[in-house]
Amino acid sequence: MTIPGLFLALELSGEHDEELARRLQRKEPDAMADLYDRFGRLAYSVILSIVRDSAIAEDLVQETFLRVWNRVQGFEAGRGALGPWLLAIARNRAIDYVRSVSSRMDRNSYEFDAREHPSLFVDMEREVFNTDHARLIKSAIAKLNANQQKVIELAYYEGLSQTEMAERMGQPLGTVKTWVRTALRSLRDELGEVATA
Amino acid sequence: MTCEELQPEYGAYALGSAENPERIEIAEHLARHCPNCTPGVRRAMEAVAAMSGAVKPVDPPKRLRRRVVSMVSPNPKRSWAMIIAPWAVAGVLAIALISVGLPGWLHPNDSARLGQALSILNDPTTKDVSFGEPAARGRVFVSPQKGVVFIAAHLPALGAHRIFEMWVIPTQGNPIPAGLFRGEEDASAIYVRPGPVTNAAAIAVTVEPEGGSPQPTTTPFIVTKL
Repeated sequence: MTIPGLFLALELSGEHDEELARRLQRKEPDAMADLYDRFGRLAYSVILSIVRDSAIAEDLVQETFLRVWNRVQGFEAGRGALGPWLLAIARNRAIDYVRSVSSRMDRNSYEFDAREHPSLFVDMEREVFNTDHARLIKSAIAKLNANQQKVIELAYYEGLSQTEMAERMGQPLGTVKTWVRTALRSLRDELGEVATA
Repeated sequence: MTCEELQPEYGAYALGSAENPERIEIAEHLARHCPNCTPGVRRAMEAVAAMSGAVKPVDPPKRLRRRVVSMVSPNPKRSWAMIIAPWAVAGVLAIALISVGLPGWLHPNDSARLGQALSILNDPTTKDVSFGEPAARGRVFVSPQKGVVFIAAHLPALGAHRIFEMWVIPTQGNPIPAGLFRGEEDASAIYVRPGPVTNAAAIAVTVEPEGGSPQPTTTPFIVTKL
């Protein structure tokens, strides 16, 4: 795709999400179908990558879309990033699940709600899931050192706290915190470079 | 804590791996729309969101679309088992629902209650007791630390200005009020009472005046020994 073509696609996609959010707010049942068509595969993939059980993943996808449906009134259709919001909810449902299985459920329940608040997704890049971003983030993760990759993996796919990661890896907490911080900063910087290029 | 002190934890917070006190502090800064922390956390969450886009794509089964869409269709054909399935990861609640045979469906706004229920069901110390005829049939799950999940069918009809009240019967002393609930139109109910339940010998349910009573005023129609 040409650069102008890419920008046009992104712009149209953004408009699509804005209208889709408004239709969800009007509780139009067809909007749920469109929402699923747009993000269902991605949500399922994210959840499955964490819970590693297709039946559980299906259930959690259902819960994710229901949660979006119930909370979309607080979403700013004109400025919010619908996809990142939905995927944050999807990942949290999956992490909730793996934590519940390992009896770690209560630890972050409050935080999860706070991190799902629609206001956090205002003015966020909407197209962080497109092919270019996916390639970019994979490349950025590959550039991280082994320890940074490990902490990102433990946090993203297993939902471990920094203390739990330190115990798992047999490293001091401060060291793990540094790895997490520098890893996320590197990923952010890589994404930022493209966004501003 | 100051924004400067919290800034190094934005990434961990976005990933869900931050811990207290930073976790709570950041949540509080976000709640008051802190001009420093909000954009900082947002950027970190953008990176985490981008990671979601890098996950290996897998096609979901076609039936999943139908399940999702049917949740909000004008004529939902959903059941307790369908909606609650996400939270029946312990398997226990699903089994309970099947064995009780509840035909009712869960209101979408009850997802928070389901989270509490799952927490109770996942507690390894939870006791699971069935009860049956001649009173209502059902099952009760009691976690000493986390609370009670009460599932029942064939509840008696409530008269005007009446309500069901659950009681924790301690090993010693008077019944302890454990919350009020109503049944569904099909005479079923699922009631979740979060919070510690100490020294419980039994769970009982009575019909009480609307607003509840400090002590039972009618004979319990359910008494389930634990």
